[in-house]
Amino acid sequence: MRIVIAEDSVLLLDGLTRLLEAEGHEVTGHKTADELVAAMSRADALPDLLVTDVRMPPSHTDEGLRAAVHLRSIHKRLPVLVLSQYVEQRYAAELFAGDVRALGYVLKDRVADVDEFLDVVGRVAGGGTVIDPEVVAQLLARGRRAGLDALTARERDVLGLMAEGRSNAAIAERLVIGLGAVEKHVTSILTKLDLAPDGDDHRRVLAVLRWLEHAPTGGDRP
Amino acid sequence: MTSDVPAPTPAPAPPSGADAPADPATEPSAASAPPTAPTPAPIPAGAPAAGATTAVQGVPAYARPALATPGSTPTAVLTAPAPGGGVRPAGAPAASAPAPTQSVDDDLRVVAPALTGGRELLRAPVSAATWRAVSQATVGLWLLLGASIALVLALGFSIAFAVLVVGIPLLVLTLLVARPLAGLERSRLHAQLGVDIPAPEYRSPVQARLWRRAWGVLTDVRSWAHLAYALLGLGVTVLQALLVWVLGGFALAMVFFPLYVASTDVPVSRVPFLVVVGLVGTWVWPLALQALTLLHVRLARGLLGWPRSAAAVQAARVAAQAAQDRASQAEVRAVQLRETRTRAVGTAEDDRRRIERDLHDGAQQRLVALGVELGVAKRAAAQDPVAAAAALDHAHREVKETLAELRDLVRGIHPAVLTDRGLDAALSALAARCTVPVTVDVPDPASLAAAGPSAQAAAYFVTAEALTNVARHSGARTATVRATVRDSVLRLEVVDGGRGGATARPGSGLDGLRSRVEVLDGTLTLDSPVGGGTRLTVEVPCAS
Repeated sequence: MRIVIAEDSVLLLDGLTRLLEAEGHEVTGHKTADELVAAMSRADALPDLLVTDVRMPPSHTDEGLRAAVHLRSIHKRLPVLVLSQYVEQRYAAELFAGDVRALGYVLKDRVADVDEFLDVVGRVAGGGTVIDPEVVAQLLARGRRAGLDALTARERDVLGLMAEGRSNAAIAERLVIGLGAVEKHVTSILTKLDLAPDGDDHRRVLAVLRWLEHAPTGGDRP
Repeated sequence: MTSDVPAPTPAPAPPSGADAPADPATEPSAASAPPTAPTPAPIPAGAPAAGATTAVQGVPAYARPALATPGSTPTAVLTAPAPGGGVRPAGAPAASAPAPTQSVDDDLRVVAPALTGGRELLRAPVSAATWRAVSQATVGLWLLLGASIALVLALGFSIAFAVLVVGIPLLVLTLLVARPLAGLERSRLHAQLGVDIPAPEYRSPVQARLWRRAWGVLTDVRSWAHLAYALLGLGVTVLQALLVWVLGGFALAMVFFPLYVASTDVPVSRVPFLVVVGLVGTWVWPLALQALTLLHVRLARGLLGWPRSAAAVQAARVAAQAAQDRASQAEVRAVQLRETRTRAVGTAEDDRRRIERDLHDGAQQRLVALGVELGVAKRAAAQDPVAAAAALDHAHREVKETLAELRDLVRGIHPAVLTDRGLDAALSALAARCTVPVTVDVPDPASLAAAGPSAQAAAYFVTAEALTNVARHSGARTATVRATVRDSVLRLEVVDGGRGGATARPGSGLDGLRSRVEVLDGTLTLDSPVGGGTRLTVEVPCAS
């Protein structure tokens, strides 16, 4: 694949480049968001994947994220993977506001897990949605929402993996259960949470995310 | 929980006779009362907005922040103190306490304008000042005559009976009666002449002993001055009345002399001269009357109001009182600043020590272990691939744990989301990470941007600490975080329905946060009755 990386840390850019080139990808690197956007506007063909850091010069706040949102608004089909030192649900909400196909948002630390990182790269480039477990954990930590109480422990595991954007097959592999069992859990979850049963993975992710973000908190007011 | 307000050294006693200002800081506050920080002095105008950066021109759309953040938008600093911000100790005289003594020029313009010359001189016979003086003399003559007679009689009796004991109380009574009479006279002059004579203060010792008080009345110069006025004022008024009736009547008679000259035995050749005399008299009597009225008013000012020296003393005393109030306020403020500064430095020092310890005990140790593991793997790589793989595996796990640890540590030093997305988003992030379900209630997220970066950071860390405590100790099932900005004060509340009984012990996390808040002129209040939940309230001025 042709992969474009925007990352201001020379060490990490170098590491990522070597890692991806070893996998047989063709890699171009940029050190600032401006450089990235300029290069993308000059390019004749879109890359197969854009990997971008969030914090970059000059202001070291969130220009990577904004550049990603900006590029996605121009090129609807551009697969983008955002790496961040922190994942906060607010950033996730901004990034996933539109179409969630071919979009990933994960912690930078995940790069250290080479196999998992390469898996994420493959899934996003292939049109999948990937959300860092940390974001999902944050959303789940708000925990005992009305409805969540109704889920079994296993169903809650499945819900978390669904929110990360994993397919049923991946969930089955992860939890070491059969595909049929996963499908049964998913149907049960969708019913309990009052979500539309929809075969489309992306819309499913979106529905779960929206539900996690906006569902009313439960628990009696003391 | 004890009050944090230090008791400053008592201010020097105010001059005797003045109301001692009730200095709010010197009153011992009950040990159970929540601390009330002394009201901060208003920030001088033109204080730059902290953290305000200039917006970059020509930035492409994607590079512009999606939301207004305190770091990128210059925030307006309100320089006005909050309503009710000024402290005026109880009993402090209002700014307008003594009317400054009127100068002769001021009185001249009011009661004797003819003496200033020009048109007023020509208008003297028909000027309002003249006829006001006529009415004053007409009424005052009888009033002062009555008052003088009564006072002189009373004085005579008192002195005659002074040998007997009864004379002294009579004298005291006379002097005391002179005071309301003086008030009546001041009111009359104000009504008839339009001059405002401020009432003087009398020496009235507050000692309980009767004879001390009597002595105070007897030695009070003002009261004796009132008696003197009754006589002197009567003299002046008699002169005024004579002027009006005798000279005024004569002038009138001479002006109209031609009309009835036939009935007199004055030769007709004298008539023009007499008419001229009459005309001159017509101007002379108002001039003389106005001059006498001016004398009368000056007399009344000296004897019924404040003597000139006393007025100056009183003005000086008010000024001194105001200066002293300011000084004691400044002193309270200085003590408070010194305390909060010391604690802030201490807190910063503690934070640095904590960061150093965390890095040393955590990341550094892990990296050393990692080095060892990698060394082992390198040595074993050739001979024992299995052991090498195990060591690498271990090292890899070690690295990931180190990264997670560093991430938490860095977030604890300063959360990126606060800078990038503002307080509302940062509070949501905290709530999301809390194991207890937390409701974030921010009615107007945009308004929070008015709070300065330090205020927002303080609110963030207080919330972080509070939510940690909620999760660890409270046993609450839910918590609420509420943030508002009103009257340019950022108010943050963290409420839970747990078991309560929380305290901010010295050295605890909350105690450190309190000093952090107080450095910003804010307050941190902890209300946590046992069994009744916990409410933590923080208020920080936005301009910090």
